[in-house]
Amino acid sequence: MNARAALRAAVGLMSAVIVLTAVITADGCRTSGDDRIRLTIWHQDRIDIRIILQRQLDRFMQTHSGVRVEQLFKETEELRSGFIIAALAGQGPEIVYGPSDQVGPFELMQIILPLEESFPREWLAQFDPKGLTWYKGHLYQVADKLGNHLTLVYNRKLVPVPPASDEDLIRIGKGLTTDLNGDKKTDRYGLTWNYTEPFFFIPFMTGFGGWIMDEAGNPTLNNRGTIDGLKFITRLRDLEKIIPNEADYNVADILFKDGNAGMIINGDWSWAGYQNAGLDIGVAPLPQISSTGLWCAPMVSPKGFSLNANISDEKKALALELIRFLMSEECQMEATRELYTMPTHLGAQQSDFVQRNEILRNSRIQITRGRPLPVIPELRAIWDAMRPSYQAVLAGTMTPERAAEEMQLLALRRIKEMNE
Amino acid sequence: MQSQTFRHRVFLFILVAPAFVVLFGVVIYPFFYNIVLSLSNMNLRHIRDWRIIGFGQYVKVFTEPSQPDFYVVFVKTVIWTVVNLFFHVMLGVFLALVLNQKEIRGKAIFRAILVLPWAVPQLIVALTWRGMFNYEYGSINLMLTQWFNLPGVQWLRQPLEAFIAVIITNVWLGFPFMMVIALGALQSIPHDLYEAADIDGASWYHKLRHITIPLIQPVMVPAITLGTIWTFNNLNIVWLVSNAGEPSDQTHLMVSFVYKAAFNFYRYGYGAALSMVIFFILLIFSLTFMRKSKATQNVYS
Repeated sequence: MNARAALRAAVGLMSAVIVLTAVITADGCRTSGDDRIRLTIWHQDRIDIRIILQRQLDRFMQTHSGVRVEQLFKETEELRSGFIIAALAGQGPEIVYGPSDQVGPFELMQIILPLEESFPREWLAQFDPKGLTWYKGHLYQVADKLGNHLTLVYNRKLVPVPPASDEDLIRIGKGLTTDLNGDKKTDRYGLTWNYTEPFFFIPFMTGFGGWIMDEAGNPTLNNRGTIDGLKFITRLRDLEKIIPNEADYNVADILFKDGNAGMIINGDWSWAGYQNAGLDIGVAPLPQISSTGLWCAPMVSPKGFSLNANISDEKKALALELIRFLMSEECQMEATRELYTMPTHLGAQQSDFVQRNEILRNSRIQITRGRPLPVIPELRAIWDAMRPSYQAVLAGTMTPERAAEEMQLLALRRIKEMNE
Repeated sequence: MQSQTFRHRVFLFILVAPAFVVLFGVVIYPFFYNIVLSLSNMNLRHIRDWRIIGFGQYVKVFTEPSQPDFYVVFVKTVIWTVVNLFFHVMLGVFLALVLNQKEIRGKAIFRAILVLPWAVPQLIVALTWRGMFNYEYGSINLMLTQWFNLPGVQWLRQPLEAFIAVIITNVWLGFPFMMVIALGALQSIPHDLYEAADIDGASWYHKLRHITIPLIQPVMVPAITLGTIWTFNNLNIVWLVSNAGEPSDQTHLMVSFVYKAAFNFYRYGYGAALSMVIFFILLIFSLTFMRKSKATQNVYS
């Protein structure tokens, strides 16, 4: 091949690549060969919710032939960092769905839109106010689910009546904790949960009167509730011996599913999975701590929709219509019936199913007793500050008193670093 | 003649241009953007109004008290890299030497089995090992207690044990790469060299020292350099086996330290400075190692 022919071939190849690239990437809002306007939702929901969501999106697309809606699952951290990076670059999905605590950093970075002007007041009035996340005077998220909360899940075959107090919990737990095969090792425990995440420690902290921050958002981790909550957990493990020595989420989950733990502290996301695994489960509010008279209160957060600040006007109108559709009583009840999620629509909350279903009734009690998940960005620093000391106490390398002190100091340092 | 040279240059440019565009987009631009970020105050509060502040973030990297401490993390990262590389190379070369023996039957089956750790997705490997390290239900402790009558080890609850656990996982994952590379290099050594050595009465040790090692060196040195960079920058294993630094942030490596600063705490400027520090550490290591090991020298000359 001479140089001229080679040059022609190379130019031809380059042109083909350029044309192909242009066709593939042309007009980010329309797929090639598809004239419909494309809307994308990023979320971090599990597979069973994704299936329901897809059914709902398909119905929406049937009535809106000019729109194509795609859902994209991302892990919680990936969703958060990915959305920040994409939105700061002027890109990203039109709708981002998740728990309310992502509103804080997203608002600060100005990557989500205020929604109070986009929805009529009468429409917003249909929903439980806890499902509408207002921050700094603006509405940034409308939620279709309420909760994301921990409860006491129990195996009815092993636990006929769930514990109402810490004393009941220990009594029932001791009855369940057994060496079944005589090898001098415990085969079944009374209770289990994920020890590695401080989110699961919150009910113990609140049960003993503690909380993570004051009203101004300053950390308050060095408190009596933290110390007594940590002491209570170590008592359950080392003295009463009703919980395993070591358990992360997967271990706790498997222990419960296999019938090797009678009770588990887990969130509303887990209930349908346990039923699908063939367990006859009951869901009960977390017990009351006798010495304080307080209920163990988990964090409660709505999960909902926010709009990307980069959304075009054309897409914004469609995205709002889609959100209104997904927030409808019918759509919310679809998830509630299959997965026992707590709807935010007041009509759905008053429905026979929600009122009569035992799981949902107890879930509602737990939500009422729970504490709202703070929306401020500094919450992340607080979780991170709690984690090492909490784990050190469970590893037996730190006292609860020292842990509470260290948590507070580290939280202050982390917040300072974040806000410098 | 001149126009032919010009056409030839244009032709070369067109051939190189697509690769250059891709490289510019995914390597050169992000690298220089990272340098700019490392000199800026970009963080949660200054994400849109960030500005250049000089070397302040670099000063913070080396002087700011952090949890965990930067120098402790650095030393752990060096230990992690050295120990991992040692076992990767030793195990890899040893198994390659064994597989290279003529007498071994069913080499293909052994090779496939030994490459298996490399073929399984890291996520699956890491989570499987994490389960195996569980104190009460993990298979490792069950073997220790039931087969060897030893006490169970708190693999994931104590800092040293957790660090050993992540190293064991990564050794298991990493040796097949070195084995495959070493096997390829061994198979390219002319057999007459060994025959000549046999005639001279050389022992297996002398053949290893004077024929095998020098002749696999040009292949192994770049592999070790790459292995060092990959191991130093390995986030997956530590993050997944130790569940993001457990216990108590004691199993962090420098790269997970960067990840945490940048993506958990939105400290983009600080994270960028830290990543530049890692870059320079690896650059100095690579250049020194390549020079000292004479990797680019022709062994046959």
